[in-house]
Amino acid sequence: MADVGRWRSPLIRRAERDEGEEPDYRFTLANERTFLAWIRTSLALVAGAVAVLHLVPLDWRPELKTVVGLALTGLAVVITVYAPLRWRRVQRSMRLGEPLPLSALPVVVTVGIAAVCAAVLVGHYWR
Amino acid sequence: MRADEDTAVDGGDADGATGGDTGLQPERTLLAWQRTLIGVVIVVLLYLREPFQDGGVGPGSGPDPLYRLLVVLVVAGAAGVLMVHLRRRWRVTDRGLHDDATQNPPAPLAAGWAVYLLSGSAAGFALLVAVSAVV
Repeated sequence: MADVGRWRSPLIRRAERDEGEEPDYRFTLANERTFLAWIRTSLALVAGAVAVLHLVPLDWRPELKTVVGLALTGLAVVITVYAPLRWRRVQRSMRLGEPLPLSALPVVVTVGIAAVCAAVLVGHYWR
Repeated sequence: MRADEDTAVDGGDADGATGGDTGLQPERTLLAWQRTLIGVVIVVLLYLREPFQDGGVGPGSGPDPLYRLLVVLVVAGAAGVLMVHLRRRWRVTDRGLHDDATQNPPAPLAAGWAVYLLSGSAAGFALLVAVSAVV
């Protein structure tokens, strides 16, 4: 059993190829699709940011527009940085036969989007 | 890790590579990649679009069109590279049926660098949108 507490650069693939054993290919592909679903989530947030900042003529205070746009792009960046790291960690856990690591990302994204929704309401009613 | 009691991995049966869904899992994954890459292209094209309001210079008019075009070309180019890589991988693995090295369906479907290129492109694009909002 490998030392699971040791963190390694996510870019080192070959070194971890030999760890544990190859999981069922369907789990590996499901992990890949989960990564892609996170990326699509971040793309949706960026699309919202582009609309608020650049496309749709909103009659909001300019500073609120900027805050909403930056919050959406900030969430998107967090997701896109975290998604590949999580993909690697899950793959490694599956190779070593360990329980899958829990992730705080769904909670973070939910709270973030709720905050953005509240800001949108504020922008709509307090001009 | 075995999938003997698996019923939850997208409806596959329990026989792994000999099961009835051989080739369907890689195909689903290819479709997920394609959906994502199409999404990337659509979002960057949205960024390219002129704002709906008559903007002069300053907030509300959006960033410079040439800058926007450059951003779009770079990100869409990365999406194109990924699409070509995936189509090629799909062909050489006999439409997702088996990898030459393992004889199992290819897993993961894309090379490791593809994951980092996609997430890097998406992160870079999000940062550029944020920068053009405040600069």
